[in-house]
Amino acid sequence: MTRAQQRKQHAFVIRQLTARELKRKYARSYLGIVWSVLNPLLSMAVLSLIFSQLFRRSIDNYPIYYLTGYILWQAFTGATTSAMTTLVDNKALLLKVKFPMELFVLTRAYTALINLGYSLAAYVVMLAVFQVTPKWTMAFSVVIIACLFLFALGLSYILATAYVFFGDVRHLYTVVLTLWMYCSAIFYPVEQLQGPIRAVIDANPLYVYIHCLRKAVMSGALPTGFELAQMLLWGVGTAAVGYWVFRRSKNRIMQRV
Amino acid sequence: MGIWEGHRRASRRMPRDPAVDIEVRNVTMEFRRAKDEATSLKELAVRTLRRQHSYETFRALDRVSFSIRKGEVVGIVGTNGSGKSTLLKIISGALVPTCGQVLVDKSKVQLLTLGTGFDLELTGRENVYLNGAIIGYTKRYIDEKYDQIVAFAELEGFMEEKVRNYSSGMVSRLGFAIATVRDTPEILILDEVLSVGDLFFRKKSEARIREMIHGGSTVLIVSHSTSVIRGNCSKAIWIEKGKLRAMGDPKSVCDAYEGMKGG
Repeated sequence: MTRAQQRKQHAFVIRQLTARELKRKYARSYLGIVWSVLNPLLSMAVLSLIFSQLFRRSIDNYPIYYLTGYILWQAFTGATTSAMTTLVDNKALLLKVKFPMELFVLTRAYTALINLGYSLAAYVVMLAVFQVTPKWTMAFSVVIIACLFLFALGLSYILATAYVFFGDVRHLYTVVLTLWMYCSAIFYPVEQLQGPIRAVIDANPLYVYIHCLRKAVMSGALPTGFELAQMLLWGVGTAAVGYWVFRRSKNRIMQRV
Repeated sequence: MGIWEGHRRASRRMPRDPAVDIEVRNVTMEFRRAKDEATSLKELAVRTLRRQHSYETFRALDRVSFSIRKGEVVGIVGTNGSGKSTLLKIISGALVPTCGQVLVDKSKVQLLTLGTGFDLELTGRENVYLNGAIIGYTKRYIDEKYDQIVAFAELEGFMEEKVRNYSSGMVSRLGFAIATVRDTPEILILDEVLSVGDLFFRKKSEARIREMIHGGSTVLIVSHSTSVIRGNCSKAIWIEKGKLRAMGDPKSVCDAYEGMKGG
């Protein structure tokens, strides 16, 4: 098999596995795949109802401020938490397959990306409802999401490896995620914070992604050079480190699974 | 540098003698198991602090060597936990042995196992594509062979139904049909696949396996059933507790194996 054929085959495997994940998710429901848009839309409606009363004075168009952070956060947690358990979930397949087991991790992250696509469809509806005018800077969200995807993928590799050896990484990660969420300024205005906490938030890669998307969507501004460098470095760097860790542990993973 | 590395890799992986397909040289596989292993981070932290790491090594394979020539049909027998499946995993490249090496062209090896990789929530058709993709078929190939798979599994009219509603016989028939639709690979490894479905289907599946065996490829069969090995193989290997106990004529090896089980 040539390299190109192999690539094509891997892409086919990823598509099949992703289709399976998506179909499974709505397997027993009547509306099926419609829920992929409906679910984010409904939760967005609920959240904007509740939170728009809360920070009305300090943030313009609070629901959109909140939703922008919310969908990126959901995509990130969706990718990492599902990818974490993928090797253990697909244990039986691991020994049978001929393709590299990286694809299992990649599939879960890719599934989260597809789900983010559905959320974005709902998000566009909300943008129209809250009368956000379309801007050309919105196109930059593709770059932001690509960087976020790489970041999530790299972390997924590390978590998936760790989970094979230590089952309670999952519980620990839930706690870490809670802390991480509060440090990502998803539902509160970051300007209210000062001092060391503010420094933590500014250094938080997820906050950078969220912040840049908010700027692109709400105020029509591009990220500064520094922010762009941060996004790229976090994305590419984490992906590279994660991949390296995964490759190194591959053999031990096979022995353990 | 690149060329040199490529050369080294190639010479390490393939047998030198062109008439030999698989060469297993002094393969030892050890699994390091911590005594009541730390399965949580907390335990690991506590133990690291107290320096209480005690490992025991479990030797699944102990200096096993043999070689299989092209076109041979070799049966592997041994009781459960004797190291048979570890050996298969090493030959098919899923595991790397602790010591020793296996010389084989991995691109020619095809491992055939059943009963894994089905998703109950998907329909039969979706499972054919999913399972096919996983074992390395291209989309075009599956499109082409789809009707043949369904016909062989005798599942016409059930393919749009969820596999959840299938009987276990139907599931294994479909699994067998997907796995064996391909042209026979050069090196075929069969891991307990010769007892699928009801009596009628079993005859059909055995005929298909015979066809593959007599298609001129090198075949490795792992089975509990010595009659399968007596009936199909040209050579047998008996592995017990990770050690090679006997190798040679299938009849005498199977007799010796049964003698041990009896006594």
